[in-house]
Amino acid sequence: MRSRVVCLILLALAFGVLGIGAEKFIVGTDATWPPFEWVSAKGHMLGFDLDVMRMIAILEGYEIEIQNLAFDAIIPAVTLGKVDIGASGFTITEERAQVVDFSSPYWTSDQTVLVRADSGLTLEAALSPGRKLGAQRGTTGAFWVEDNLIAKGVAVELVLYETYPEAIMDLLAGRLDAVIQDQAPSEQAVRQYAGKLVIAGIIKTYEEFGFLVAKGDPKGILPRIERGMKKLKETGAWDNLVSAYFGNPLEVIEAAWEACIDVLLVQKDPVAYAACLAQKVQELSQK
Amino acid sequence: MTFEHWLRTWSYLPTLLQGLSTNLAILGALLSLGFFVGILIAILELYAPLPLRLLGAGYSWVFRSIPEILLLLLVWLGPARFGLSISPFWAAVVALGLRSSAYQAEIFRGALQSIPSGQTLAARALGLSPFGTIRYVLLPQALRLSLAGWGNEFAVVLKDTTLAYAIGVVEVLQKARFISSREFPLTFPAYVTVALLFLFLTYAGLFLLGKLEKRLRIPGLEARR
Repeated sequence: MRSRVVCLILLALAFGVLGIGAEKFIVGTDATWPPFEWVSAKGHMLGFDLDVMRMIAILEGYEIEIQNLAFDAIIPAVTLGKVDIGASGFTITEERAQVVDFSSPYWTSDQTVLVRADSGLTLEAALSPGRKLGAQRGTTGAFWVEDNLIAKGVAVELVLYETYPEAIMDLLAGRLDAVIQDQAPSEQAVRQYAGKLVIAGIIKTYEEFGFLVAKGDPKGILPRIERGMKKLKETGAWDNLVSAYFGNPLEVIEAAWEACIDVLLVQKDPVAYAACLAQKVQELSQK
Repeated sequence: MTFEHWLRTWSYLPTLLQGLSTNLAILGALLSLGFFVGILIAILELYAPLPLRLLGAGYSWVFRSIPEILLLLLVWLGPARFGLSISPFWAAVVALGLRSSAYQAEIFRGALQSIPSGQTLAARALGLSPFGTIRYVLLPQALRLSLAGWGNEFAVVLKDTTLAYAIGVVEVLQKARFISSREFPLTFPAYVTVALLFLFLTYAGLFLLGKLEKRLRIPGLEARR
């Protein structure tokens, strides 16, 4: 009896030590930007960025905790050490790179110009003097308007919004002429407001997304993210993830995610998980 | 915005209510913190020796001056500079609680000052200590008098709890943002639903405080009010 108790105590201690020993990094994200990160109807946080983070964590043997944050607050939180990794569709910019360190690019995106379908505006017309443009605060869409129109003397008015859907609401209400935003969310807007919104055109900005950590990478996270991304690409898991997350309705992705996530979180098999997700998405979207 | 959008928003009500429970938890914690610290500060401002009195006045000045959203960020991010960690929830409680304590202190100070000074003299003459005078004579009356002003503070801080989204607390407004980002057309219905929830909560809270005010009323003292 006593030896059993001793065993249990030893076991508990061992787990306790392991628990302390297991590295845990906090991932900061603004989960309002599908398909990169959002909250499903059932309340789960999912998205391309978050799944990549979860998969790399398993491959590289650390734990992560996902912390939702306002987009503007993520970089300050990373610089002050409240959050270890920023994964929220961050475009790599020079200004940001002065205060944080980026991983190598994992995604390339352009900006799209969204207008009302009945406005008949072309890309040039939408960005001409006198127009009222909307963008989400702190995003590269807003920076693009500031740097390439306003700074160059094109008299457009830029209105900034806390979230992207709020800008869309003002566009639909006729209080804006166009909204500048990344491709994926713009496509979602066109899908969800069928017939009311169109993409007037694409501004080729060739922006590259990166994961970010504190300047100097004090916890040595970046090499592990790089290694993890390399493994994901070599095994084909990356391509599967891309095919699952991009160009599909959110409900379909959510259903597939629910069906497959145990493969990642319980069986800890990122490669099988990505394959499962891609296959399920394909199955469900054919129905 | 169609009827269907409202119906779809309705299906998110459990999520929104879950978010609202976080607001209520923050509210309860911040009001309690603000209440006790507020009484302390009010007493310091009125009855303490000069250095402490200045401290109380300074405290009240500082926490009524800093914009709340800034206070939230400072309390959440600040301790990290010294290697301390505070969760977003508790950062919200502390930041909003300290701010509220400064306002509550002013409510209590006004109420304490409105009690005729003759009572203090009488209590001291009867042998009550200065602390006893505050504890048994002044505070019980002042707290009753404070209720109306306190109800106003309740209505203000109830809404302030939504600011906690800025530091990542998943409260009701953040839940609405989640919904809106998932289904853009639900943005407006979701925001209106949150507004309705707050209308109801404010009404319910003020109704209960009104009841409390009636129950605590002292017959004979009413004439003064």
